Amino acid sequence: MTTYLIRRTGEAIVVVIGVMVLTFVMIHLVPGSAARATLGTRATAERIAVFNAANGLDRPLAAQFVTFVKQAAEGNFGTSYSLNQPVSTLLAQRLPRDAVLLGLSTLLALAVALPMGIFQAVRRGRVADHVFTVVSFVLYSMPDFFFALLLIAVFSVQLHLLPSEAPQAESVAGILADPRALVLPVVTLTLVSVAGFSRYMRSSAIGTLAQEYVQVARAKGLPERLVLRRHVLRNSLLPVITVLGLSAPGVVAGAVIAESVFNYPGMGLLFYQAATSKDYPIMLGSTLVVGVATVVGSLFADIAYSLLDPRIRYVDA
Amino acid sequence: MSTLEPIEPLEPLEPLDLPQPVDAPTVPRGSGRLWAEAFVRNRRALVGLGMVAVIAAFCFIGPLLYRTDQVTVQLDLADLPPGSGNPLGTDASGYDVLGRLMEGGRSSLELGFAVALTTTVIGTLYGAVAGYLGGIVDAVMMRVIDTFLAIPGIVLLLIMVSVFTPTLWGIILLLSLLSWLGAARLVRGEVLSLRTREFVQAARMMGGTGGRIVLRHLVPNAAGVIIVSGTFTIADSILTLSALSFLGLGLPPPHADWGTMLSAGLNSLYDGYWWLVYPPAAILIVTVVAFNLIGDAVHDALDVRLQRP
Amino acid sequence: MPLLEVSNLTTHIRTRRGVVRAVDDVSFTLEAGETLGLVGESGCGKSMTGLSLMGLLPPGGAVVGDSSVLLDGRELVGLPDRELRRVRGNDIAMVFQDPMTSLDPTKTIGHQVAESVLLHRGCTRAEATERAAEVLGLVGLPHPRERLKDYPHQLSGGLRQRVLIAMALANEPRVLIADEPTTALDVTIQAQILALLADLRTRLGMAMILITHDMGVTAGHTDRVNVMYAGRIAESTGTDRLFRGMRHPYTQSLLASVPRLDQDPSVQLPTIPGRPPDLTAPPGGCRFAERCRYATDRCRTEEPQLTGADDHRYACWHPTSGPLPAGTTAAVPRPDGPSPSPSPSSADRPLLEARDLVREFPVHGNRLPGRARRVVHALSGVSLELGPGETFGLVGESGCGKTTLGRLLVGLDRPDTGTVTLDGTDLGRLRGRELRERRRDLQMMFQDPYSSLDPRMRVGSILREPLQIQGIGTARQQKARVAELLTEVGLPERGAELYPHEFSGGQRQRIGLARALALTPKLIVADEPVSALDVSVRAQVLNLMNRLQAAHGLSYVVISHDLAVVRYLADRIGVMYLGRMVEVGSADDIQLRAAHPYTAGLLKAVPVPDPELERAKRGTGISGELPSPVDPPSGCRFRTRCPLARERCAEEQPVMRAFGPEHTAACHFPLSTPLADAAAGRLNGGGVPGSAGGR
Repeated sequence: MTTYLIRRTGEAIVVVIGVMVLTFVMIHLVPGSAARATLGTRATAERIAVFNAANGLDRPLAAQFVTFVKQAAEGNFGTSYSLNQPVSTLLAQRLPRDAVLLGLSTLLALAVALPMGIFQAVRRGRVADHVFTVVSFVLYSMPDFFFALLLIAVFSVQLHLLPSEAPQAESVAGILADPRALVLPVVTLTLVSVAGFSRYMRSSAIGTLAQEYVQVARAKGLPERLVLRRHVLRNSLLPVITVLGLSAPGVVAGAVIAESVFNYPGMGLLFYQAATSKDYPIMLGSTLVVGVATVVGSLFADIAYSLLDPRIRYVDA
Repeated sequence: MSTLEPIEPLEPLEPLDLPQPVDAPTVPRGSGRLWAEAFVRNRRALVGLGMVAVIAAFCFIGPLLYRTDQVTVQLDLADLPPGSGNPLGTDASGYDVLGRLMEGGRSSLELGFAVALTTTVIGTLYGAVAGYLGGIVDAVMMRVIDTFLAIPGIVLLLIMVSVFTPTLWGIILLLSLLSWLGAARLVRGEVLSLRTREFVQAARMMGGTGGRIVLRHLVPNAAGVIIVSGTFTIADSILTLSALSFLGLGLPPPHADWGTMLSAGLNSLYDGYWWLVYPPAAILIVTVVAFNLIGDAVHDALDVRLQRP
Repeated sequence: MPLLEVSNLTTHIRTRRGVVRAVDDVSFTLEAGETLGLVGESGCGKSMTGLSLMGLLPPGGAVVGDSSVLLDGRELVGLPDRELRRVRGNDIAMVFQDPMTSLDPTKTIGHQVAESVLLHRGCTRAEATERAAEVLGLVGLPHPRERLKDYPHQLSGGLRQRVLIAMALANEPRVLIADEPTTALDVTIQAQILALLADLRTRLGMAMILITHDMGVTAGHTDRVNVMYAGRIAESTGTDRLFRGMRHPYTQSLLASVPRLDQDPSVQLPTIPGRPPDLTAPPGGCRFAERCRYATDRCRTEEPQLTGADDHRYACWHPTSGPLPAGTTAAVPRPDGPSPSPSPSSADRPLLEARDLVREFPVHGNRLPGRARRVVHALSGVSLELGPGETFGLVGESGCGKTTLGRLLVGLDRPDTGTVTLDGTDLGRLRGRELRERRRDLQMMFQDPYSSLDPRMRVGSILREPLQIQGIGTARQQKARVAELLTEVGLPERGAELYPHEFSGGQRQRIGLARALALTPKLIVADEPVSALDVSVRAQVLNLMNRLQAAHGLSYVVISHDLAVVRYLADRIGVMYLGRMVEVGSADDIQLRAAHPYTAGLLKAVPVPDPELERAKRGTGISGELPSPVDPPSGCRFRTRCPLARERCAEEQPVMRAFGPEHTAACHFPLSTPLADAAAGRLNGGGVPGSAGGR
């Protein structure tokens, strides 16, 4: 397993470097250079030259890249010019809030999707399977924002049951203190992911059910309930872990939409506002953070996989 | 170029077990026959295909039968509820909503297909080459994909759209740049398993070149996965464009597509103008469901583990 | 009262194509302590019969009609699932075919064996684990207590099958159903497992149903046999009588078409034409009528019922009286080729020459800094020579390197060191275009008829492709050549318009052979050419290979784990063990005068379809498991399993010594005396066993 982990970590490092290169390239794609972006469009050539020299932008690209990597490693992503604060401060404020929102909704999504997928696999081709299939297809095919607004229209506007705006508290504790306001954003993100996860779990479980060892378990006289719990569940779960790691970008995309709809003060909203106001330091800083988080997430998923699958755990351990 | 050595045919020694005449005249010929057979057996795919056909007819043939003015802004006719003359009412610019749905559908579908096509071609070639060559080349090519996949598509899109003013072709290009990654991964996985198959080794034994093996054997046999990824891409592109429109970074007016219409309609949801919301939402969702149905059905049909007698 | 009484068992399976009558009106009894064989080709309903008894049918399957299964007088059909579960794994247990997929990869073997005990015995977990260790010891797993915590992937196929047997036997069932328990295993391991099953049956006094397609296994390990065909019992009798005096023509043909070790290779194998009927709409008359040499109109219209005395029943209108006599229609002499093969030691240069081939593969993903690179020693210095028109057979168990050798011979892979020379050209020196052109002389016939033909191409295009690649002939000539090729392998010309999936496995193997022939090669390497085929179809392909060799003066290298197949096709045979050639000789040398203990053990392990011979040799196979090719034993690699091994075998690697004009073996303590003037050893310095062609 050690070998596997070392190789996998090596790959992750390569990808993190790739993400940095990509982000760096995008900085230089910004029209009018970083100087204009920072100083505004009416800056004089003189001021730009001074700025470039001060920020090392007149140095060779390779040297600039090294500086960029160093700064990024120190958590220095520059200063937002619309909010006039260091990007790192802004991100540090918002990351915990996203952890709450995305963590809650992903856990809920798994809690719903995994049993649903197994249930569908067992009932394959029967009415229940078809009903759940239709539901997950419609959920999956609905634009996130439409779904979110629909929830608001029904539960806030019509029924007055839940607030349409997410908690605005600064701290995580403050957010958790207002669970009612958290319901709609969390439900939106949960249901959107449920569809994908349950589809995957269904096909994984169907594959496991066709394995000979399931038949062997039945031949022992094991009741079907135990066959599912002891032999089908764990084996079907393994491939889903990998998918979980790969689904991080999708979750982030959902967060951008959901946070804009519910005005949830997370990174998604920050990023969206930055995009509309062309606040490049924020955009690039959060891109880098999200990219690295995704790589690390999928590395963790693979580590979890290798811990749960003895075939990897015990290879030349 | 050498010539053929004539060989003497020998008499067959044992009675032949002739194959059953399965090529009945009703079945289309050509390798499409395999697909046709697989499709007919698959009701889910048929339903999806039927839905797509109806929607396509609505968007492309509909305007010939139901003519509306989608060019002139008529503010005096704005936001009319459904009634005579306008079966689905009019929008804020006075355009007939039913006619607008046809027009918007055309660009939504065209966008979806265009993205799917470019994505499929690029992704297939990239994935097939990586999978066939393997080793270091494959490792490098895959890390490139991992890098792009690490950054959520919408994040890249928002950055690009905020830098460049979007046009239809620009958006198609951007969406293609983001979507080929998934296709390439899928095709590579398939090719990795295909290249160990004996018919690929047989082609090498005949002296077949790498290019020939990729194009004649690997890509046709990965056709199933390619179709799956293509149909999913159509659905995803339509959805992504609608999300961009909602975020206000979609295509500027007078361009119409279902996503733009829906986002615009949502602004007046609380005014009670339901005809600006539900019709585009419904047709958008139905279309995306239809493509996903096809993709999912083909995917299941290909997954040997999911086969049953 | 019999222990198990099955009457009118009928199983239907609903599929998209219609209702498959998988088991149709099958009745038999099983006494305590006896072994009943269920024998037949794939799709004959033998496995479905087993699954029906267990109540484990696939989705859509159901036991219908007035089927009855009485276990000790208790009716099992229609029993509620709750009750049936108490029987499963407790009174009736089952061992499945594939040990690689039959164990849950995420649970320890101790857990999996104990699970079964815990379920039926109502004991504590500690007691169940204790019992698991006990049973694992019983089935011959070395150090069972330490291995309780092992996961399935840490065990070899043979050991996994032992674990599966332990699972089935944990509760000492009264009936054990073994469904092809050794089909996925090597012959030496097969012999061990079959001996184990026989031993356990006696010790535990249980009854056994042995489901198999292998007539050799049937002969040695059953007391009575039901031969099944198309869902029905064709013949049912004691094992001895079945082999000596069968009455059903199907049994007769099935037995005759199996190549045997003592087969006269100059005589063609009798074949069974056609394929079994479609069980969604079985034919009205006798189900075998279409393929039967004795069939009359009555057979095609009227279905025969099982008749005859209680101890020998058969369903046939024209029963035969014993095996096909030698010299019947089937015993056509093998056509002789243009170059009478068995004398390759003629003056002319060998067609193919392999010298000291070494090929090693890195163990995947193991490149930790500071640790030695670990490699699989697939081939460690193998040499062989092959004359024009000659057939060289390569035998050995899985992992012995025979497939790697085959790939090196045709240039699909390159050796790390050593050379392959074809007609004087060193294949290793050829690159790119030159190599591609040279390929026309070297072709390969693959094992799996389902994966060797591109499923998206028509047969016509598949056969034309080699001609197109090599730029041979115009389009019209190529098409004409395709038609010729199809005719040659006995397929209709209109087959060119069809896709591979429209053909049966045997027909696909013929297409594969036709493709190999398209470029009129000098040598065809056939890797397990018939092992994926049903018994009755094998003979057709083997006969065809012989016929084409004679017609075109081809050389073959035939790779197979099945000694009988190699014996039937080959002029000379090479026996491989763990990456080394241990013995080379004429087919007779190998079969009658084997010098290497491994060859002798291999020969003993091959089941012979003759009850008397097969029973006489019980318990004389090779013991132990194949060592890992990553870390092969020092000296003679076979020493760890050799009954004759002494200290010298560990210290010194044996060299090839001559035992006859064309007979060499690498062994310190051979079974016969080497020729006094053996010079072969000195010729091959460096301790590498070489010069397999040794003369």
